[in-house]
Amino acid sequence: MSSLLDKPQLLQKLKSFHDYVRKNNGEIGTKQRGIDLNLNNACNLTCDYCFTNSPIGDHAKDTLPLDMVRSVADQADELGMFEFDLQGGELLLRPDYLFDALEAIRPERFYFYLTTNGYFLDEAMAKRLAEAKVSRVSVSIDSFDEGTHDKIRGRKESWRRAMDALKHVQNQGMDPYLNITVGHYNAFSEDIEMLCQYSDDQDYTTLLNVAVPSGMWLKLDKMAEVIVDEKDKARLIALRKKHKNILRNIWNPFDKNYEQVLGCNTVNRLYITPLGDVLVCPYVHVKIGNVFEQSLKEISEYGFKIKHFKEHSPLCLAGENKEFITKYMSSEGQSIFNPSRAQDIFTAEDFV
Amino acid sequence: MSNKEKYNKAFMESFSIEETILGESLEYNTIPEWDSIGHMGLIAELEDAFEISMEMDDIIDFSSYKKGMELLAKYEIAFEA
Repeated sequence: MSSLLDKPQLLQKLKSFHDYVRKNNGEIGTKQRGIDLNLNNACNLTCDYCFTNSPIGDHAKDTLPLDMVRSVADQADELGMFEFDLQGGELLLRPDYLFDALEAIRPERFYFYLTTNGYFLDEAMAKRLAEAKVSRVSVSIDSFDEGTHDKIRGRKESWRRAMDALKHVQNQGMDPYLNITVGHYNAFSEDIEMLCQYSDDQDYTTLLNVAVPSGMWLKLDKMAEVIVDEKDKARLIALRKKHKNILRNIWNPFDKNYEQVLGCNTVNRLYITPLGDVLVCPYVHVKIGNVFEQSLKEISEYGFKIKHFKEHSPLCLAGENKEFITKYMSSEGQSIFNPSRAQDIFTAEDFV
Repeated sequence: MSNKEKYNKAFMESFSIEETILGESLEYNTIPEWDSIGHMGLIAELEDAFEISMEMDDIIDFSSYKKGMELLAKYEIAFEA
């Protein structure tokens, strides 16, 4: 982290998280870590696998009012959350709103990052973000091959601009994260290894996200092709051991042996849509509240009453647990804007 | 084990580095291993090794190998010359 020692509030929360996990046998338990806020769902690309339905323009004009953005950040800080991730859609389509939101959030309190496709992230924008105390920028890369990436993204030059964006981020002293989506379809491809090696060579951090059968992929009914199997998971673990710069959200980032599993982050990292709906994570489109109606504390307490989210799961529920996916993530039309409501899909037996 | 040896061991184990890297030039973010996550691990190792609980201000000020030794003096941990 480029600016940890300049962010005392963040350091205090990170230390608390670290100590909790350490005392809890390396597992995340019910310790909350952060917020993923979908600031706007409009996007300039049309990725095959988009989990937010941005390519079909779903709720492209909706945004949270800045007062609510500020309130969410204040509540997250009070709850001890140390991470705050803004994502979309594509954030840099609306830079004015983004920087207004940054002012409301006060990134100096968080390990604050943006997830972007990098298309509009040039050196000047990277400088502005660094000055706004953004700690990290995550840029997703789908392939080491330019043509393949551009085809998946639906726009020429998206690969080159994304690769350049990571370099701009690094040049401005922020943490460059190269995000890779890995599913059954590509877990053993040479492409993934090449991307991991490139990220390692460039001193970036690699974030592996397992492919999830939601959003655009829910409609394509690609579950068998998408979900990683046991061999694929072993492959990811081997990559973790080989390249020490690889993270997954369910892995314990503090483990020096690169083995411990933190556990599924549902409710530990809340996902908030532009409508204020709170989902248990970006990929499990199950609603547990709305920030206009309840506090984050109330919503979190409710979420942790559901045993699937309270109990330790060594698997990512959205990307690895087929039973959970089939039972709770496969409703017709289920999306971030049309989530299943927890009270409708869970029975008394699901609550603790 | 002397305090210096314990101190060095905490660095070497936290960052998986050789003893030759330890010294006054070693500062936060000067090696890839001493990032935010590494910092948390280092502080935990030191707290365990010396059976102390460090104050937040000291964790923030712990910006180098040399500075760390100065800070630990507050916890009555002395390093031989």
